[in-house]
Amino acid sequence: MDKQMELLQGTLDMLILKAVSLGPLHGYGILLRIQQISKDRLEIQQGSLYPALYRLEHQGWIASEWGESENKRKAKYYRLTAAGRRKLQTEAEKWNRMADLIEGILGTTAEEV
Amino acid sequence: MWSKFASWLRAVTRRSRMESEMDAELRFHIEAFAEDLVRSGVPHEEALRRARIEFGGVERAKEECRDARGVSFLENLFQDLRFGLRMLRKSPGFTAVAIITLALGIGANTAVFTVVNGVLLRAMPFPEADRLFLVSLAPQGGPFDWQPGVSDRDYLAFRDQDQTFERIASFTIGTTANMTDAGDPVQIPVAYVTTEFFPVLRTNPEIGRAFLAGEGEPGNENVVVLSNELWKERFSADSEVLGKTIRLDGVSRTVIGVMPPGFAFPDAKVWMPLAIHIDEHNSFTRPVVGRLRPGVAPQQAQAELETFSENLPLGPGENKRDRMPQIIPLKDLLVANIRPSLLVFAGAVAFVLLIACANVANLFLARAVGRGHEMALRSTLGAGRWRLVRQLLTESTLLSLSGGAAGILLAFWSVPALLALAPEGKIPRMEVIRMDGWVLAFTFGISVITGIFFGLAPSFQATRRNTRESLSQAGRSVTASHEGIRGMLTISEIALALILLTGAGLMLKSFLRLRAVNPGFSPSNVMTMTVDLPESTYRTAPQMRAFHERTLGELSRLPGVSASGAVNLLPLGERLTMGTFQVEGSQRPPGFMVDKPCISPGYFRAMGILLLRGREFTEADNETAPGVVVVSQSVARTLWPSEDPVGKRISMEDEPKPEDWLTVVGVVEDVKQKGLAKNSDPAIYQPYLQVSSSFFLSHMTFVVRTASRPESVAAAMRTVLRDVDKNQPISIASMDSLIATTTAETRFQVRLLATFALIALTLTIVGIYGVLAYSVAQRTPEIGVRMALGAQGADVLRMLLRKTLFLISLGIVIGGTGALALTRVLARFLFEVKPSDLPTFAMVTLALVSSALAASYVPIRRAMKVDPMVALRYE
Repeated sequence: MDKQMELLQGTLDMLILKAVSLGPLHGYGILLRIQQISKDRLEIQQGSLYPALYRLEHQGWIASEWGESENKRKAKYYRLTAAGRRKLQTEAEKWNRMADLIEGILGTTAEEV
Repeated sequence: MWSKFASWLRAVTRRSRMESEMDAELRFHIEAFAEDLVRSGVPHEEALRRARIEFGGVERAKEECRDARGVSFLENLFQDLRFGLRMLRKSPGFTAVAIITLALGIGANTAVFTVVNGVLLRAMPFPEADRLFLVSLAPQGGPFDWQPGVSDRDYLAFRDQDQTFERIASFTIGTTANMTDAGDPVQIPVAYVTTEFFPVLRTNPEIGRAFLAGEGEPGNENVVVLSNELWKERFSADSEVLGKTIRLDGVSRTVIGVMPPGFAFPDAKVWMPLAIHIDEHNSFTRPVVGRLRPGVAPQQAQAELETFSENLPLGPGENKRDRMPQIIPLKDLLVANIRPSLLVFAGAVAFVLLIACANVANLFLARAVGRGHEMALRSTLGAGRWRLVRQLLTESTLLSLSGGAAGILLAFWSVPALLALAPEGKIPRMEVIRMDGWVLAFTFGISVITGIFFGLAPSFQATRRNTRESLSQAGRSVTASHEGIRGMLTISEIALALILLTGAGLMLKSFLRLRAVNPGFSPSNVMTMTVDLPESTYRTAPQMRAFHERTLGELSRLPGVSASGAVNLLPLGERLTMGTFQVEGSQRPPGFMVDKPCISPGYFRAMGILLLRGREFTEADNETAPGVVVVSQSVARTLWPSEDPVGKRISMEDEPKPEDWLTVVGVVEDVKQKGLAKNSDPAIYQPYLQVSSSFFLSHMTFVVRTASRPESVAAAMRTVLRDVDKNQPISIASMDSLIATTTAETRFQVRLLATFALIALTLTIVGIYGVLAYSVAQRTPEIGVRMALGAQGADVLRMLLRKTLFLISLGIVIGGTGALALTRVLARFLFEVKPSDLPTFAMVTLALVSSALAASYVPIRRAMKVDPMVALRYE
């Protein structure tokens, strides 16, 4: 297993939006999904997940409802709203632009300057 | 936006449900996590434990969730309030002292603001009252209280060319009339107003009509509008009052209207029409009110008036400087003279509140040290600093609001007391002084500000401390920075108290000086009775003289009366006539004017005015005898510095004929005519029997000197007047009480400022005591160590005294500087005392220092008695 990386500041929101964009999930499920798609290479502070969820819901990007979990227990499920979908898209674009930019900078060689 | 609001609303309305849902959600997370661990072979108990550890602080997560949801503010507020209330209940002594202190400060401010609000801030009770302005050309300065006004001539000219006002109206102020034939004869305030008056104010009679154009012209002037109050009082709210007649100064007038309740402008009970004509001999100056046209700013009106004044031809003997064009808010007519006093009170009472704040802040600081452990614990458990500060601020605001509520009660009771203390007739618009929404809003506002003000510093202090240190020391620690803040608070208390005490001291000294003034007569055991003879009944001077002669005769025969007399211009009264005269064989110095009282024989004896040379008037100085006068000392000195004035001749006429010359027969002492604070006026007295103008005879004050208490003859004097003319309203007062009314305003200021200063002093003493007692308690172990190491009681005394004296002297220096700067605003109220009066400064400083030292006596004594063994045992 690769060494775990700490989450970059401000990216948790984007990851949560991405996770629930693939289908409604409860909080623990979101944690599992992020770990799953990152192939366990990301370390997420579990305690910080819920404040982020509440914040996103407060901003109207995700919505929640109570449902039944896989093991037949009541759990709170989050899903992406239309506003959340737009938000995810702009955030992803911003991220990609930023990544390209940083990559470009880091890839600069002495001859190119 | 909407979703935010909805979530917030949901959160607020279903707080408990959200809370349990949050619990359930987090529990689910941990249990699901644990189940996964169990599945991978970890024992159940161990799995749960690991799941919890992995998750981290549940409470902190919850707190952050609440914050994220946006509801936390209100929620925390509730929580803080509940907690705050519990804390306050837990220390009732602290709470009670703090609330009482704050109630004093806030209550005093509320009371003064109630008066300020009613008198200065409330709008006049007319539609669009902010469009009403006074037009004035009257110069400021001169012997009387300044009144805005325009002379009749200028009024007519301005009315014809003015463009900025919709309408203007002229009216009289301070006029009275005797009302007869409606119950007991009574003197009532009346106003003569031009017919535009009511339309300008946009207020119409409730019953009947206002004046029509042309009313007020000769033959058309005998109509009258009544105030609602007079109508109820004297006419039992008779609905048939229209068309009835009332007699004012003996003239019958038909009632044409009754004003709505509360309308009394300009402090009148009856309005009569006024037509303005230019009189060749007399020029009246009256207030003029106008309503600005829509869209016209007062500045435009001011500019117009200035241009008008500039272009106005000068009358005979008139100077450009005699005009001062001013457009003034209407309210100033009533409140301009009281405003400076009220502002001084408001400032003084704000100081009291500041001192109260400092005291409570000190209490809070002391308590904050006690709660340091609690704060440290809470911050370890995840409470942010801001959260703790907010908790403490909630507590302080809770306190200040309770103080405010108690303050409102205090004000409710003290406003009437304040007004009762006020000199009668000196506070205008008393009828609109009440505790309204504005007052409550003000009190709420200053309560909240006060709470934050005294809570802020202690809160930051209390939460700044090093957590680990505090926890390890189990809350017992002395912090130097606290001492610093407490010292500063004490210094500012002393400084503020010193400023207030200085102000009160200066006013007191001024008042005592004023009381000690020799008025030139002897006021004790003198009773006065004043009459105004209406010209309708007393048409000629002989008729008036007959009235006076008969009254004087009756009065002199009363038992207990040792001397009696009459004068038309009572010293320190409200009336004043100054005039010029001619001197035989020499020139009157330019600008030398004199009072010209008309008196009866016996007046000097009755008033106790000393006769310096010659003789008094006698019954023989009548119409048929040669004209005589008595002059006051300053007249004699000015006109005949090195000669005997008796036998010299003067005349009241500008171009005297031989029979107009009056011989000086005596010289009397100068008398304070205009007021105790004013200079004595030179006066030339004439016997009333030789005066033929009814103008000088209609208003007359009878004075009697009594053997015992002057009030004992009041009833008998009343009977005399009723026998002579039953239609005369009776106005009887002792000379002492009349003088008291002239100094009433100063006395009011002194009392009020002294009250504030005493409250300030008390709070300061309590504050100093508190700080020192607390400091001694904190330093008991230290003192114990010192004493164990050989320090004596005297050393401890020196140590603590040095600290106390340092605080006091710094406070005195700052306060003294402040007082020097601030007491200047009192200059206009002071009589023969400079605002920087050194003896007063020294006195109040001495008083403050000695009370501060007295306050520190008990704690210092306690410190000196510290038993090293006992003190160290706790270490």
